[in-house]
Amino acid sequence: MSTTNLIVAGVGGQGVILATEILGKAAIKENFDVVISEIHGMAQRGGAVVSHVRIGSRVYSPTVVDGSADAILGFEPVEVLRSLRYASDRTRIVTNKKRVIPPSVSMGIAEYPSLEQIVEMYRRFTQHIAMIDAFSLAEEAGSTRTQNIVLVGALAATRVLPLKNDTLKACIQERVPKRYLEANLRAFDLGHAEASR
Amino acid sequence: MSDLSKLDILVRGRAGESHLLLGNEAVARGALEGGVQVATTYPGTPSSEIADTIALMAREASIYMEYSTNEMVALEVAAGASISGARAICSMKMVGLNVASDALMTLAYTGVRGGLVIISADDPDCFSSQNEQDNRYYALLANAPCFEPSNPQEAKDMLLSALSLSEEFELPVMLRLVTRVSHARKPVVLGPVEARRRDMKFSRDVKRFVMVPSNARSRHLVLLEKMDRVKRVAEESSLNTVLGEGALGVVTSGVSFNYCMESLNLLDLRASVLKLGLVNPLPTGLIVSFLKDHDPVIVVEELEPFLELHIRSMVQGAAVHRRILGKLSDPSYLPRNGELSTKLVLSAIRKVLGRPTPIDFQDIENRSRMAEALSPPRPPVLCPGCPHMASFHAIKVATGGRAVCATDIGCYALGAQPPLSIGDVLLCMGASAGVASGISKVVKEPVVGVVGDSTFFHASIPGLINAVYNKHKFVYIVLDNCTTAMTNFQPHPGTGVTGLGESSKQILIEDVAKGCGVDFVKVTDPYDLKFTISTIKEAVEQKGPAVVISRHKCAILESQERTAKGDEIVPFEVDEEKCTECTACVKLLGCPALVVSQRNVSIDSILCVGCGVCAQVCPYGAIRKG
Repeated sequence: MSTTNLIVAGVGGQGVILATEILGKAAIKENFDVVISEIHGMAQRGGAVVSHVRIGSRVYSPTVVDGSADAILGFEPVEVLRSLRYASDRTRIVTNKKRVIPPSVSMGIAEYPSLEQIVEMYRRFTQHIAMIDAFSLAEEAGSTRTQNIVLVGALAATRVLPLKNDTLKACIQERVPKRYLEANLRAFDLGHAEASR
Repeated sequence: MSDLSKLDILVRGRAGESHLLLGNEAVARGALEGGVQVATTYPGTPSSEIADTIALMAREASIYMEYSTNEMVALEVAAGASISGARAICSMKMVGLNVASDALMTLAYTGVRGGLVIISADDPDCFSSQNEQDNRYYALLANAPCFEPSNPQEAKDMLLSALSLSEEFELPVMLRLVTRVSHARKPVVLGPVEARRRDMKFSRDVKRFVMVPSNARSRHLVLLEKMDRVKRVAEESSLNTVLGEGALGVVTSGVSFNYCMESLNLLDLRASVLKLGLVNPLPTGLIVSFLKDHDPVIVVEELEPFLELHIRSMVQGAAVHRRILGKLSDPSYLPRNGELSTKLVLSAIRKVLGRPTPIDFQDIENRSRMAEALSPPRPPVLCPGCPHMASFHAIKVATGGRAVCATDIGCYALGAQPPLSIGDVLLCMGASAGVASGISKVVKEPVVGVVGDSTFFHASIPGLINAVYNKHKFVYIVLDNCTTAMTNFQPHPGTGVTGLGESSKQILIEDVAKGCGVDFVKVTDPYDLKFTISTIKEAVEQKGPAVVISRHKCAILESQERTAKGDEIVPFEVDEEKCTECTACVKLLGCPALVVSQRNVSIDSILCVGCGVCAQVCPYGAIRKG
């Protein structure tokens, strides 16, 4: 099979690493090779973070080539903008609508673009765009900390990844603390349903 | 992974099982499989998770681990253990090896007894570093064999090879990782766990281990002779291997190998790839015969043209005439800075062969630039409620914004950016004391040095003693957040806890400063702005070096501890009646919990840790506890 390339873009502290770890574990369970490249250390202190996930029969490079992502999963709308170099016209963008205002904007040094401007820019790369209100869905699931799992659910609905929902859910079960499990599984389903509509 | 499932896999996992592991976790498992008894480190990205994972495994796996005060001490501890017969590893980020290099250069002469591997995690592209030095050159300089894995599985397996080689030749050996190996997660097949040695004892050998000049001279010859023998191992090693067939030859090592394989697949190109797992000493015979069989030969490596330089000298020695393409022949072929990628390698091969790339990178680049121009910058910032923000604000107020500041390595380096803008020079761990001293000899403005608690213990103490002895006048502000925050909260001598979680004597920074001869030593809590400002003002008036310890626990750590205890964290809020929308709070502190949207200031109740510093800077008393 050919390799599936995924970019996960967000802000340090949003749970990007947990989300990609779940995808990676699911890939192993389904007997794929997988490589994830993460950002740790100084770069993750509230800064922009990008993780690369590549799933296939044999993957070498830990990073995705420009113009080669099958999907970009955005935890924040502007962070997808920063990762558009990985998109082509067949890339599916699944992103959180919820903005995280960077201090540069609060200080008046920079401006946060409108959602319309952002989507217009996405459209210069691809027409396959799904905007999800992961924050509200996570609240509905029982904890705003499950936004990352809402987004994993939404990504699963696009069927870009060669991973079954049950496998992903089994990996969520292995990975999140028991007391938050129910909220996380609900978050997955809500995200999945939202992106399937 | 949760700590428990990590232990399940890394300590209790059986040979043959495959698990998704971070490169650094795979190395930690390698330490267990390889019978390592002593593991030392000073934390630094991208190396930290190696020792942090071993710390977690230590008790059950019977490995002694420690966070040493700095990398040189870490290597000395590992050396002492190894000379006494134990297997040891010493992990650090690449700049750590600058600190440890003094020990390394002579350790190569004495050699070791138990296998000793120095793990250097390099950071091409400076994701979390002040430079991007290529530590393969340290292996060359020290005459230390050096392995370079391309992925987490190889990182684990090569640690085992490195331990065996080290023991066979009684040499310290290097394992060179990079960010994209240390922080890559891949399936890793576990191997069997070797039994730990028991009943070792020290055996005296003065000619070998006491490096006075007469002994050093003869040990240098022994070292050179050993490296000749390791070279013969390199010729036969299965870690130096040729993959694929074709007239085109590619020579590569480490993480670059991955980009070569992807590029050849994408271009559907037949080529022969010489993958070097042992990069010092290089197998001259193998490389020369590879050159004879291929034309052209392209060398693909990250950062310095280390392989290329050697290959060119081999060509001259063997009088083979081949087109060799690399950074030395054509600086536009691959960059000597930053990390490589499949895109860069693809473009380089295309250029060499005159083929089109399957992707129009220029078009992507043009559109990406437009997208990036629309994106407000989001550099890493100090966390909500970070006590450093308050300290920096106090420095600014106390010195009327005139201070020239030598800063240091840690989270607080982020204070150099607006709005705090404290930090004018940043070099290396502990440099703040020395640099501030030098500045103070030249400028008339008040001079300040800032240093973190862990960095203070690491390398700033000789600088501080020098400042007292040579009468330098500056204020040295120790930003003590009671942890090594940047690298994931490791303990240090000031915390009174060891890496194994045992309590130990807590060494107080104020005692050390007084012991160094500093007369003015005061402690303040930065969350109390008024007192902190007046203390710094007083310090500025001193005749010699003055130390102010600005102490408050890291906001992340404190919030975690309070949540665990069941303490409620009460966020602050803006009183809209009183708020004049002057945004002074945001402009003075830049706290990420303060959000301005259409001039309306609010406090994000999820991010706010309730430190109350913004309430102290608000000129209108419009911020209060919620």
